[in-house]
Amino acid sequence: MPFIFGKGFTAGLRFLLAFWAARLTALACRLFGYPGTSLPGVVALRLYPGVVGFLASSYERVLAVTGTNGKTTTANLLAHFLRGAGLRVAHNAEGANMLPGVAAALIRDCDRLGRPRSRVAVLEVDEGSVGMVFPAAKPGIVVVTNYFRDQLDRYWELERTTGLLRSTLDGLPAAALILNADDPLVAAVGRGRAEVRYYGVNREEGNCGAGDCAAKTADGTNGSGSVVAGETREGRYCTSCGTELVYRYFHYGQLGDYFCPGCGFRRPDPDLAASCVEEGEHLDFTVRVLQRGSERASIRQESGAGTPGGSGNLTGGAVMRFTAPLRGFYNVYNILAAAAAASALGVSLDAVRRSLLGYKPATGRMEQFTLGGRPCTLALIKNPAGVNQVLKTILATGTAKSLVLAINDLAADGRDVSWLWDADFAGLADGQVKKIVCAGLRAADMAVCLKYAGVPPERLLLAPGRAESLRALAEQEGEELFVLATYTNLFDYAGLLRRMGKGGGRSAPQDLPSLS
Amino acid sequence: MRLRICHLYPDLLNLYGDRGNVLIIRRRAAWRGVEVELDQISLQDRVRFTDYDLVFLGGGADQDQGLVSRDMERKGPLLVEAAEEGVVILSICGGFQLLGRYYRAQDGGVLPGVGLFDVYTEAGRRRLKGNILIETEADLREEMERCSPGALSTLVGFENHSGRTFLGDGARPLGRVLKGNGNNGEDRAEGARYKNAFGTYLHGPFLSKNPHFADLLIARALARRHGEVSLAPLDDSLEWHAHRVVKERLQKGCRRPL
Repeated sequence: MPFIFGKGFTAGLRFLLAFWAARLTALACRLFGYPGTSLPGVVALRLYPGVVGFLASSYERVLAVTGTNGKTTTANLLAHFLRGAGLRVAHNAEGANMLPGVAAALIRDCDRLGRPRSRVAVLEVDEGSVGMVFPAAKPGIVVVTNYFRDQLDRYWELERTTGLLRSTLDGLPAAALILNADDPLVAAVGRGRAEVRYYGVNREEGNCGAGDCAAKTADGTNGSGSVVAGETREGRYCTSCGTELVYRYFHYGQLGDYFCPGCGFRRPDPDLAASCVEEGEHLDFTVRVLQRGSERASIRQESGAGTPGGSGNLTGGAVMRFTAPLRGFYNVYNILAAAAAASALGVSLDAVRRSLLGYKPATGRMEQFTLGGRPCTLALIKNPAGVNQVLKTILATGTAKSLVLAINDLAADGRDVSWLWDADFAGLADGQVKKIVCAGLRAADMAVCLKYAGVPPERLLLAPGRAESLRALAEQEGEELFVLATYTNLFDYAGLLRRMGKGGGRSAPQDLPSLS
Repeated sequence: MRLRICHLYPDLLNLYGDRGNVLIIRRRAAWRGVEVELDQISLQDRVRFTDYDLVFLGGGADQDQGLVSRDMERKGPLLVEAAEEGVVILSICGGFQLLGRYYRAQDGGVLPGVGLFDVYTEAGRRRLKGNILIETEADLREEMERCSPGALSTLVGFENHSGRTFLGDGARPLGRVLKGNGNNGEDRAEGARYKNAFGTYLHGPFLSKNPHFADLLIARALARRHGEVSLAPLDDSLEWHAHRVVKERLQKGCRRPL
């Protein structure tokens, strides 16, 4: 076993011990009906704390995805693109994204002798765990999605989370970064780094030829930069000089086209840019590749600050139209991030485009089911920015609908449900929403929040239990049904909907936790 | 009747859904036919706090709290003057700390406060966080009972702070901690009050589960210019239900009632 003992005899022995203990734990989990996405990792780490580093060093490429929202979808898309290109990929697909989950995923990828079967690892990493996972896994490519306030009781303030990422990346100077240009908190991470690619969404007016795209990409701000009532924006001040950032436009939250009048920090020109986004049952958008090197430099010069939309300069860059079987404007960012990372591994943009058509959303990421003969969509909600995007997407259809809002306050949800009041639920007061069933341990908090957001109390129903809430939902009016749930409710709702909907959903095998 | 609200530093002291409290006060006043005016006041803005009936300030991230602290050198004395005149002030978490005498950081550095409350705060190592249940002081309890008959005597919420606040002789607490930590995790005191000014560590939208305290604030705020008012009762069954769910969970020490 040259692989195992090539790293030293003691390390090899300890690894084998940890490996087999983890395998047995996974088997036991399976016997007792638990998903076992993290526990085998906990056991392995207890016996051999260096297990992640030991295994990760055997992969040719390790890619990590972190940030607040979109980690799971971005990492799943990336694994999907790479697999579509014929690569075998190790991946913590179940969203177990802390050190034990990463350890469990890498162990699961091993053959019986403890040798990784894949050559590439795609790791979704919790933004609070980058300090543990990155030094061990040493990713060569790091994708950062965005930073929003999330579970403040666990992570404290955002500045702490972004500071942790920056200091961790200082220890990985050679890692290539793939960053969201539209989020100033993320883009700032790229300053002073050797290798960075940016992705972003351009708002180009009158340039699409496909109708009024500006209105479709807008979230109500319509380019004027006016603040949407009720939306909380992070990162209003420049992270290097403290001056308030000026925006040409917002997409949502603090994502948009910004610059700092104080120090000149500005939204970088995206290497991969989407524009002309059309939302509906599917997402359609145009993707452009900006050429790097001298050409890139000249484009910067010509476009100057604040006019990154000058598409006429992009000759030489590929331009193509993408269609994705996903809903929600925010998924454009996830697709761009995954596409940029896949292309860094040599997958062509056209291969990404084709592969995207066959992508199935992960558990609870706008996952489709059927309930009582009607379409029922399950979506994860976990922080204000995510809620706002999900609500915007489901309200855009305008059809009559009823929904379950299931709020728990266990450790993985965040113990503090104050965040509900930072989200903008006012849209649910609209007449298209017939009934809202409040569920979960904090059903009552949700109901009170909706009452003050303007939802008439007679449209609210309390049904704390999961099965109870779905039965109640099935009796409500509406052409479409939705279940929006926090993390610890999500998988149980997915299971219930699969059973109640009799396989009407797109319950792809990849959604089911795999154990061996 | 008109209720004039000043939301102080809404762009900086806005952690944890604190702004929900302003929404709750606005709605509960409006449901009683009271007209509400809301001004948002931040850094550099000139302001006369005595023009308002109610001033709200929430908690913020460390960096933003520093900015606020500098701006408060000018606004602080005006706020103290307003408190002396009976303006209702509600301050939460970081905002509460700012209104005390000082904040002593981990490194020993002292950040002077406004001195509206006779309290001081020292940085602690461990964060005090979790659901919290307090029993309000007797006089508040009676007043809340008058505002909303049948009101419970407890307040529930969530706390998350590393600062330990201690009361001086000139400050009274809001209540006594039944479950949780309160001001410092030692003396069972929670919050502080002086005239119509209140400070508390029950952060976020804590008025959502404490409609009786929301009404006490509204009644006191209106009383300064309109004399004693009696607020029409509202259907608070949802709010009380939310209050009881947390209260019962805390009393049973049970995290999974389902």
